[in-house]
Amino acid sequence: MSGEPELPEPEALAAEHALGLLSERERAAAEARMAAEPGFAADVEAWRARLAPLTGEVTPIAPPASLWGRIERGLPANDDGRLTRAVRFWRGASFAGFALAAASLVAAVVVAGRPPVVVVPPAAPAGALLNASLKGETGPPLFVVAYDPDRKALIITSLASPGTDPAHVHELWLIPADKKPRSLGIIAPGTSRRLTMAGPLAPMVSEGASLAVSVEPPGGSTQEGPSGPVAAVGQLSKI
Amino acid sequence: MSRIAAGDRAALRSLYDATCAKLFGVCFRILSNRDESEDVLQEVYLTIWRRADRFEAARASAMAWMATIARNRAIDRLRARGPLAYAEPVEAVDAADSAPLASAVLEQAQDEAALRRCLGELDARTAAVIRTAFFEGVTYEALAKRLDAPLGTVKSWIRRGLLRLKGCLES
Repeated sequence: MSGEPELPEPEALAAEHALGLLSERERAAAEARMAAEPGFAADVEAWRARLAPLTGEVTPIAPPASLWGRIERGLPANDDGRLTRAVRFWRGASFAGFALAAASLVAAVVVAGRPPVVVVPPAAPAGALLNASLKGETGPPLFVVAYDPDRKALIITSLASPGTDPAHVHELWLIPADKKPRSLGIIAPGTSRRLTMAGPLAPMVSEGASLAVSVEPPGGSTQEGPSGPVAAVGQLSKI
Repeated sequence: MSRIAAGDRAALRSLYDATCAKLFGVCFRILSNRDESEDVLQEVYLTIWRRADRFEAARASAMAWMATIARNRAIDRLRARGPLAYAEPVEAVDAADSAPLASAVLEQAQDEAALRRCLGELDARTAAVIRTAFFEGVTYEALAKRLDAPLGTVKSWIRRGLLRLKGCLES
């Protein structure tokens, strides 16, 4: 038996995620990987589709008659998916808004500690600035991020229109080389935030690391990784 | 599904009437608890309501899509109980293998029959482990504990089984 071939990586991981075999931590990592790698996401979907017919073996059980009433009362009053509507709003973010936010971002980087006359950092050996544009599947960037490794300062600017979806918040995630998402906190629509990467986080913010924003209930995800849909993803690269 | 995406509550009601018993069965199979299954079923239809616009008819049947949502939500709930709350003794695995399938034969499409045939071609232990993982939402860690086998061994069984399953389904 021992010589028999196994399903190779990364498809094996995709199948295990579809089957539900992964631990909480591994699941969160797999979810983040799905957001960042379309090929991996397609593998997971393909395995879900392969295995779904198994539910045919389940004996149907009628739920109590009162349940429909509960479901109907729980539907959003607004007859439109609020999450998808919010994403559509972001995708429609105007170029004017983008330019403005980009300009304020540059200003923020300058304010973050460089001498004001020197916009481009002097050949600093420790680290060139990194940046990332976080996008949905299509459309313009929804968030822009800049990171100054010398000061361990990460600046994120949200290009989302404020007030479009008060029922949810946007949570920023760092997905370093080990693929485990780390929450960097909540970013309000239309604002910029400066975050200091303390302790073990700092070395994880490196070229090639991914950043993602998920749509979460107020207060953010209560699990180790994102609990809501990932709305935008991007990779850090040198400017 | 497109009517639901457009906000048609009557369409959701029709879909609910046609599918709720099946999806409740899926939740109950995983959770073995009626109250929790009702909560999860409510979440499932709310999810369908919100995400109907993401359903892609070309890629999956509507039933498969909804069953996947139900299963994933039920497993989320199961995991919320605690990491090893569902690591039960070995017998449970054997029981899952011999479930009678008479109703499925009558009502379901070819892909279901194909999957069952291909699972039948695996050795009984591997097929049972894959079924248990699917229906009970157990992790590798819990499976290994139940089977009293090393985690690496269980992983190997499953990865071999999945490769053969894929080959069989594609042939």
